[in-house]
Amino acid sequence: MRVRIALGLAVLATAIGLVIDMSGSAPRLAGDDHVSWPARDPGVAAVPGGGVLCMHATVLPDDAARIVMPIHDSLDQTKRLPRIAVDFTNSAGRRVATGVLARGAVEGPAVSLPLRYPHGTSALGSLCLHVGGHRTLVFDGEIGAGTTTVNGVAASGSPAILYYRRGRESWWQLLGTLDFRFGLGKSAIFGDWTLPAIVLAALALWFGVLRFLVRELRG
Amino acid sequence: MSARRSSAIAAAPWAGLRTAAAACLRAWRRIPRAGRACFLIAFVNVAIWSVVIPPFMVPDEISHFGYAQYFAETGQPPPQGPVYAYSRQEYAALGALEFGPVYGSPLGLNRGIFTSVEQTALRRDLAANDYPLGQGGVTTATNQPPLYYALEAVPYWLSPSNDLLTRLVFMRLLSALMAAGTVLAVFLFLRELLPHTPWAWTVGALMVAFQPMFDFIGAGVNGDNLLYLASALTIYAIARAYRRGLTIARSAAIGAALAVGMLAKLTFLALVPGAGLALGLLAWRARGAGGRRALRMLGAGVGVAAAPVALYLLLNVTLWNRGSALAGGLSSVTGAAGSGATTITWHEIFDYTWQLYLPHLGFMNHNYFPGIYPLWQIWLDGSIGHFGWLNYTFPLWVYNDFQRLVYVLAALGAIGLWRVRAAIRPLLGLFACYAVMALGLLAIIGYLGARDLATSSTLFPQARYLFPLLAFYALAIVLATKALPRRWAPVLGGLLVVLAMAHSLFAETLTISRYYG
Repeated sequence: MRVRIALGLAVLATAIGLVIDMSGSAPRLAGDDHVSWPARDPGVAAVPGGGVLCMHATVLPDDAARIVMPIHDSLDQTKRLPRIAVDFTNSAGRRVATGVLARGAVEGPAVSLPLRYPHGTSALGSLCLHVGGHRTLVFDGEIGAGTTTVNGVAASGSPAILYYRRGRESWWQLLGTLDFRFGLGKSAIFGDWTLPAIVLAALALWFGVLRFLVRELRG
Repeated sequence: MSARRSSAIAAAPWAGLRTAAAACLRAWRRIPRAGRACFLIAFVNVAIWSVVIPPFMVPDEISHFGYAQYFAETGQPPPQGPVYAYSRQEYAALGALEFGPVYGSPLGLNRGIFTSVEQTALRRDLAANDYPLGQGGVTTATNQPPLYYALEAVPYWLSPSNDLLTRLVFMRLLSALMAAGTVLAVFLFLRELLPHTPWAWTVGALMVAFQPMFDFIGAGVNGDNLLYLASALTIYAIARAYRRGLTIARSAAIGAALAVGMLAKLTFLALVPGAGLALGLLAWRARGAGGRRALRMLGAGVGVAAAPVALYLLLNVTLWNRGSALAGGLSSVTGAAGSGATTITWHEIFDYTWQLYLPHLGFMNHNYFPGIYPLWQIWLDGSIGHFGWLNYTFPLWVYNDFQRLVYVLAALGAIGLWRVRAAIRPLLGLFACYAVMALGLLAIIGYLGARDLATSSTLFPQARYLFPLLAFYALAIVLATKALPRRWAPVLGGLLVVLAMAHSLFAETLTISRYYG
């Protein structure tokens, strides 16, 4: 009996811990542009005021609600950023997402730019930043990565970008997305069914091990 | 040749296979039911891990897969020339999976494939680059012996699809089987040492089965899995022969485990002196049956261990043309792989090795680990969990709490050891041999780390390098439970197993958040 009680309490504590862990809210990633984060190389692209920085052949995740990237002023890091407009044009030439960072944001290694992507599926295309004002901004990233242009001229590398989902979410709220992602980047035998199957297998394993322990520890 | 004779010749291998399968089945049935259950539990647990971890995110999995694929395609180990290391298929998969940014992400913020667009590109790239034969260029794995990779060739070819990622799934399952075999060997080892405490066999085996770093490595294509299995089998086979007396069969079993280990990974050579000492001691104890007979027993063990290794050495310099008998593998034991001459002295190697496990002493010239204490930061924290390519971990408080738990368990272990001292006394010779095996491993890790330090700035040692000694970890846990009165010891054992299960579960959720969240 004492084994049953001890194991029962231990399992209850684990379950409570799991629920607490899963219930924690935080900003959740929607993806990235596959350039190393944090940025490895400073100043891979310099964009003068009025210029356009474009990352080509990049993927915009369907749940992206903001972009986070390192942006600095080329001369005076105390100055606030100018207005920066963002748009994403898919491979069919349609502008599918837009956003604007109002003038006055603080520069730094993780500047957040809002993105409005109202009815999108994930899309391949070009992400462009239209820099306002008169000062030159530099973007950190990785030399040699991706295909990036400044005013149509190839840059030495691509800026590092993280895409975030809207607001803050718990793992419970993210379960559907996790299920979808769990089937990606693996063998074709896996898919949307895999995460639920894994959860069921883990539950069965716990149940089986506990029964086994109760039987074995009796003596 | 008559039709009947040719069909008899064709049937011979199948008859052999049937006989071997029947022998395996008989051996399986002789294992206690609880041992079989531990095996199955470990297999299911590691198989779950193998689905959770994305392809190639187990340390060095790219090079171990590359070796296994080369072996499966050609029937021989890679020649290790200055050519491409992997097949076009593997390079395409690594590119499409964004392996570079994900594995190298210092903050763990880069992700792999998150969208259907990228998934389509992955399928397209794999279909366009389906050539599986690489050139066998040098990697961190290619100077190792080929047994693990030869075994991995079986699921590689049994895979129902030629798709690289599907083959990887099946190959990972073989690693999971090896991990389960390790757990079973630990169970049997504890049965030999504690024959009157059956619950302790289960507790010790399950503690290993749910050790999260063991699960993490077990879930991937990595030669360490056969190393762990061979080490656990060697430790078990020695304990069995020590308890029951040496026979030709038991000596041959020790030799077979040694042969598997030496053909699995060269690190295993560190355990050979201790195992050799054990074999010698066992033969000495058996001299009552006649000196010649004892020598025959010793010869059986040595012969079974040496013959396959000799064949491997011969193949390297003849059929396989791998340059030397050890195919350059000795450099991975006696020096940093791929490095040239190093200037580190024996004195420095000793200092480094000492500091790797014990505190820095005042008279030592150089502090090799400034600001950290390797016993905690490398060995303990690394065992609790340094996942992926060592780039994501639990929150700091988890390691601090585990440190306190280790203090408690160490105190309980000391009390438990005192309580069972009478039972252990007859086994002192056995433990002396185990100590030589353990010291051999600690020394070789220190030696390699010191050599590596001379040629690279990365921190070489990882907790998993100690996993060949997992059987002793299980024994230590069981000793800690023995500190309590007889009625409460199984309760503590059960609680520790559930703690290990929770540890493994939270490590899985951490892994899911790292790669999919």
